[in-house]
Amino acid sequence: MNYTTFNQNQFDATKEPMFFGNYVNVSRYDVQKHPIFEKLIEKQLSFFCRPEEVDVTQDRKDFLSLSEHERHIFLSNLQYQTLLDSVQGRSPNIAFLPVVSLPELETWIETWAFSETIHSRSYTHIIRNILPESSEVFDGIVDTDAILDRATDITKHYDQLIMMTQLFQTQGEGTFTVNGQSTEVTLRTLKRILYLTMVSVNVLEALRFYISFACSFAFAERAKMEGNAKIIKLIARDEALHLTGTQHILNLMASGNDDPEMEVVARECHEEARHIFLDAVEQEKAWADYLFKDGSMIGLNKEILCQYIEYIAAQRMDALQFSHSFSQKQNPLPWMNAWLNSDNVQVAPQEVEVSSYLVGQVDSELKSNEFENFTL
Amino acid sequence: MSIIVKIDNYSFMCADDSMSLLEAIEDQGIDVEYQCRQGFCGLCRLKLVEGKVTYFDEPIAFIPENYILPCCCKTKEDIVIEGTVPKEKTSV
Repeated sequence: MNYTTFNQNQFDATKEPMFFGNYVNVSRYDVQKHPIFEKLIEKQLSFFCRPEEVDVTQDRKDFLSLSEHERHIFLSNLQYQTLLDSVQGRSPNIAFLPVVSLPELETWIETWAFSETIHSRSYTHIIRNILPESSEVFDGIVDTDAILDRATDITKHYDQLIMMTQLFQTQGEGTFTVNGQSTEVTLRTLKRILYLTMVSVNVLEALRFYISFACSFAFAERAKMEGNAKIIKLIARDEALHLTGTQHILNLMASGNDDPEMEVVARECHEEARHIFLDAVEQEKAWADYLFKDGSMIGLNKEILCQYIEYIAAQRMDALQFSHSFSQKQNPLPWMNAWLNSDNVQVAPQEVEVSSYLVGQVDSELKSNEFENFTL
Repeated sequence: MSIIVKIDNYSFMCADDSMSLLEAIEDQGIDVEYQCRQGFCGLCRLKLVEGKVTYFDEPIAFIPENYILPCCCKTKEDIVIEGTVPKEKTSV
């Protein structure tokens, strides 16, 4: 069935499944099948901010004072974050919008992807401020094997879903040969790839991003690159909301309350989905190896980051009721909670100065000779 | 009226009504994971074994059945929750 930007049929949108039902017609929110998505939209809108509001001028000085291997850690981490948000800024729109059937979910997807484009603009803001020549960092993304290795795994489900949807919407069901590969396109195979794509997005936002946040905050723990950390804190707040979004979608799918066939699909794909998590854990560990290849930094090294990877993976897999054998129960980076806490996020321009701003503002060392010119 | 919260064989009285359950637990020196403290990230979720909690803010995060989000709820009755309490802590 061809995609249409305005479905002219009369139907009750509250009886549609989240995906692969009727194409959405009227964007109305007075009646909703899953009101949670509107709550997510409202929350996301309340988080709006612009990266330029955060002053990163001190970061430039901090960056110059970092050692060579610390700069490698900082820039590689930023390159990885740029890759993740480049993918997330466009892919939910291209992959999910053509197959969505609920107006509130459609708008959530658009709101979600829009916030990711702010993240991408944030990285440019940071890099432009700390380096005289920013293209080296951006050009380096597609030249670095360690990044490309992960890019393939991050995007392959998205790409497959997009390709199969295009075939389905133009040719209908059938077996097609694309680039020498035979692909069976049925509603069932589409639902399978949609489920797996959603899992891989959850892995991206709930696991991969958090590993990169740990690296950003490790610098700020040493009072370095604090402007960067302030921006990452805002991004982390958004990602916490996005991962809640994909957890809701995945749990709704698995429950069968939304689409009974999706429950069967979720069960069939359970092992494959679990392995998306487990593969990502191994990849993130390999990434830790690459980050710290020339040396560790105070407060963070390969071993601790690997423990954190297992710890956060266990948290996320538990939320989706996926079994795992990670035994890391205690958070190996306890300071992460304070950095991730969105309670104390401040975006008002006069209040976003780096925390170190106040250091040295009060001169507490007084000697008696300082009162010499003081008369009553 | 004092409410008793039991977590991993450690019990304490929850007297201050102005605190969220998360703050009350932290007040006892017990660490609970958290991120947003506003009910949307779901990180602080704990398993509720017995009793009921009341949400003062409607949580947005996905909460599996029998779990609670302590950052945005209070308890009005005795409850039992699953969690890990440092070994050096003894019941009051």
